Amino acid sequence: MGTEWVAVGLSRDLPAGVAMPALWQGRELAVWRSASGKLSAWNDRCPHRGMRLSHGFVRGETLACIYHGWVYGTSGSCIHIPAHPDLVPPATIKAETFLCVEAGGVIWVGAAGATDTPPEFAGYVPLRSVATQADAAALAQASGLEQAAQGLLGSTAAGGVCLILSTSQTKTTIHALAAKEADRVALSRWLDGVVRRAEERVLA
Amino acid sequence: MILYDYVLSASCYKVRLMAALVGERLDLQAVDFHPGREHKSASFRDLNPAGTLPVLVDGDLLLTESTAMLVYLATKAGGWMGSGAVNAAQVQGWLAFSARLGASLGMARLHDMLHYPVDIAAVRRAGVDCLRELESHLTEARFAGRIFLVGDGPTIADIACFPNVALAPDGGVALDDYPSIRLWMRAIRSLERFIEMPGIHRLHELKPAPEAV
Repeated sequence: MGTEWVAVGLSRDLPAGVAMPALWQGRELAVWRSASGKLSAWNDRCPHRGMRLSHGFVRGETLACIYHGWVYGTSGSCIHIPAHPDLVPPATIKAETFLCVEAGGVIWVGAAGATDTPPEFAGYVPLRSVATQADAAALAQASGLEQAAQGLLGSTAAGGVCLILSTSQTKTTIHALAAKEADRVALSRWLDGVVRRAEERVLA
Repeated sequence: MILYDYVLSASCYKVRLMAALVGERLDLQAVDFHPGREHKSASFRDLNPAGTLPVLVDGDLLLTESTAMLVYLATKAGGWMGSGAVNAAQVQGWLAFSARLGASLGMARLHDMLHYPVDIAAVRRAGVDCLRELESHLTEARFAGRIFLVGDGPTIADIACFPNVALAPDGGVALDDYPSIRLWMRAIRSLERFIEMPGIHRLHELKPAPEAV
């Protein structure tokens, strides 16, 4: 189930009209949501000069690069170049696009041609995303949670929690989900403590 | 009201931004902070013996701390200070936190941009600690349906903390991993009469695309 998918963020952190950076299998992505709510995940490089598209801005159903304002539609194709307003951009000017879906308030990116659907965590709601230098083993030890398919799962004094772990060469990003009845503030502070303890072990 | 100013200074920008937001006109006096070190000159130290920027002069009043300038501008205009004992105390807490931001993220930026001799690894590490505290606080605020640091609306606490956070990448500290900080910065940049500085751009999407000419 769902092993082809990697969590890159939480829906609550990406309202309409916002772009944000994310990591997927060591690739830097720009994940953005159009005014109408359509979600896209692209290589985080403008085909023009390589500026990060996650620094760009969303107008309607387009993402524009912050550097020279090249405008891209949700298909990834460049549709307008401000310095050449009469030019119809050639089809070869296109951002590299990735398969991106939302399930249960989590944003997932999958390999091209992924056939299954992302995992669902019934009974849990998104809490927050936190990045850490600690690895999964240190986080398991510091949290006292059980290993599960996508990360760590268990209960705390503040309520049930599920930590989806997305690892890259430089960091682990924790996408934390809270059981519906959990105390979100207490759980958020518990997670800060887990990260501190896990990092102290790594750095010790 | 005269502001002795350096365009790349985060602290000077705090004051320019606050003045813009409350509609106060500043007479900007550019000081050659780099490379001229004019703020350390004898004549500038006659004005501010500490030899620091910014300096705000309004008639007989002379202020040399940017947070004091925020208090002055906000109190003159009304609002922005947090109302009630709890909010007023929290605003003071964040003003003190903004000094930690300056000593960490701010110093990392001065190291990378102007070659200040600091322990760069140490100030970056301290900066990340600050960003994590800020992210956790703003995440809790969002749980309660709020977006600013104190209470329901923007205060001088937001203006004091915003510049050194937004400019953190200049000092080699990435902001990618802080979704609540990202949305908080968007809320500040969405404020009416927000102004930019080099390194902090406005939200272009707030205005329609310009027509080709």
